[in-house]
Amino acid sequence: MNQKITIPAFFLMVLAQLYVPASMIFQKERVIAQGTAYKFRTAPIDPNDPFRGKYITLSFNETGVKVENAEEWNNADEVYVFLTTDSNGYAMIQSIIKEQPKGSDDYIKANIDYIMTDTLSTVFVRYPFDRFYMEESKAPVAETIYNEAAIDSNQVAYALVMVMNGDAVVRDIFIDDVSITEVIRKEQNKVK
Amino acid sequence: MKLSREVAELLKAGVIEQDTADRIEQYYLTKAGPPQNKLVIVFGILGSLLVGLGIVLILAHNWDELSRSIKTVIAFIPLLAGQAICGYTLFRQQDSITWREAGSTFLVMAIGACIALISQIYNIPGNLSSFLFTWSLLTLPIIYVMRSSVASLLYLCGITWYACETGYWGYPERESYLYWGLLLLALPHYYNLYKKHSESNFFTFHNWFIPISVITVLGTVATGFEELMFIAYMSLFGVLYQIGNTTILREQKIRNNGYLVLGSLGSVALLLGLSFDWFWEDLRTKEFSTEAMVSSPEFITAVVLTLAATALLVYQKKRESPFTIKPVELVFLLLIGIFFVGMTSPFVTILINLLVLAIGILTIREGARHNHFGILNYGLLIVTVLIICRFFDTNLSFILRGLLFVAVGLGFFYANYWMARRKKRVKSEE
Repeated sequence: MNQKITIPAFFLMVLAQLYVPASMIFQKERVIAQGTAYKFRTAPIDPNDPFRGKYITLSFNETGVKVENAEEWNNADEVYVFLTTDSNGYAMIQSIIKEQPKGSDDYIKANIDYIMTDTLSTVFVRYPFDRFYMEESKAPVAETIYNEAAIDSNQVAYALVMVMNGDAVVRDIFIDDVSITEVIRKEQNKVK
Repeated sequence: MKLSREVAELLKAGVIEQDTADRIEQYYLTKAGPPQNKLVIVFGILGSLLVGLGIVLILAHNWDELSRSIKTVIAFIPLLAGQAICGYTLFRQQDSITWREAGSTFLVMAIGACIALISQIYNIPGNLSSFLFTWSLLTLPIIYVMRSSVASLLYLCGITWYACETGYWGYPERESYLYWGLLLLALPHYYNLYKKHSESNFFTFHNWFIPISVITVLGTVATGFEELMFIAYMSLFGVLYQIGNTTILREQKIRNNGYLVLGSLGSVALLLGLSFDWFWEDLRTKEFSTEAMVSSPEFITAVVLTLAATALLVYQKKRESPFTIKPVELVFLLLIGIFFVGMTSPFVTILINLLVLAIGILTIREGARHNHFGILNYGLLIVTVLIICRFFDTNLSFILRGLLFVAVGLGFFYANYWMARRKKRVKSEE
């Protein structure tokens, strides 16, 4: 390639390489700034990701919704989930639809996880946010704390999630309304 | 330099004139371009790779005492550094392979680190295939702008992993047709290597990476008619074998010719697998709907690959003597016939055993012809493995099996001894 093409091509390449991560950031920042906050009840575990360090895998309690005819839905299909809150203020699914909604931006794009047919007629979804990254030394501590919280029925663990236009960002994890980072800090101080 | 020593010797012996000697040296100087130290290139690339991977790991620690905005800025630092190094290389060090390859390697790693950190900051879900896809796509321009072969090799690894992640390990399992488009995008660089640097190590690496990548990913095509993938794979090995036999690759050492090695090994391994009756038993009991089968992606893949292999075979035969048969070149065509036999008759395993035996013998013959110990022993090995396979599923008596092994073992000794003697004789006649 001669110099005349190489130089503009180089700058185009640089721009593209900066644009892609930057647009990821802007999109997520917008959800954080303008989205609606929901609390999702959780139960976590601690795996490992080769590139992105330690995280807590989030699994949620409220993932099922009754539908009229379960046979109309297929495993792994994309669905749009409308949310509402229960009497304690935690998120639960109001309804799911197959087409992207217009006129509202308070929904999540998810996939169908599994379906129960017959009398139960319930569709379970898999949310697109299933990770919360933590500093590697803290992730195992977080796991222990979570498992204790899961056994102890007096404690409530939930994820605070910002939702907007099908997209979602996990902001923090709370145990009894205290941020997990704070809980870990207290725990580590206790040990010292 | 070896060449200048040779030239000096020829000059001293009066074989060439000073003028000719000068012209020879001048020719090789201009042909080779500016001198490049291979060791420096290798360490430059390895160094960048390690530093880049180190940065990915350090960022993966997830420094949660830093604020979101600071972490976001940090994510861009390695990327900007990589781009700066590549920019410097383009403007100031354009002819240095070390700078180009090391800088590109670092930039590839920095892109990965940047997207990974952003995913981490915003807890973007663990969809590894979309991560690999974005990473590979952003790596692609580096191959051409920087003319970097390492970037091309990393790109090939990236798209292969992406295809496996989508096609084999992902949930929901999907076809990864995008892979084939991404692979095509890497080929112009490969073609350029073939045209201009066919003696370089980078070309050799590509000759291994590309066929391995294609072999790995082809299986993702399968949906409901997996049986047809055996034909598709056999034809793919046929295509690879034919490519490996083209003039420019045939001239390379066998260990540099990934196409030939993989084509041959793949064909033999597949046949050995098919020489057991379990596959055919399953095939005979399965009911096919012809209509669904003909429109399945497996069928289309098998047809396309078989046509490609046949076209290459005809092309090769036209160029060289059509009656010399290379060991595995007709296997993909024979398998189609065998496949039809196998749908109805248990007789098929005998055919396959005979075919593998024939390949073994043809390979031994080829080894003997070319005085090549490696090929000769490969042929013997094929026969041995065939016998070992039959060890497991036949009702032959122990005595017979034992005798077979002794016979093949003696064959090994005799064939090698015979060839060593022949080599010695040829040498002494010279």
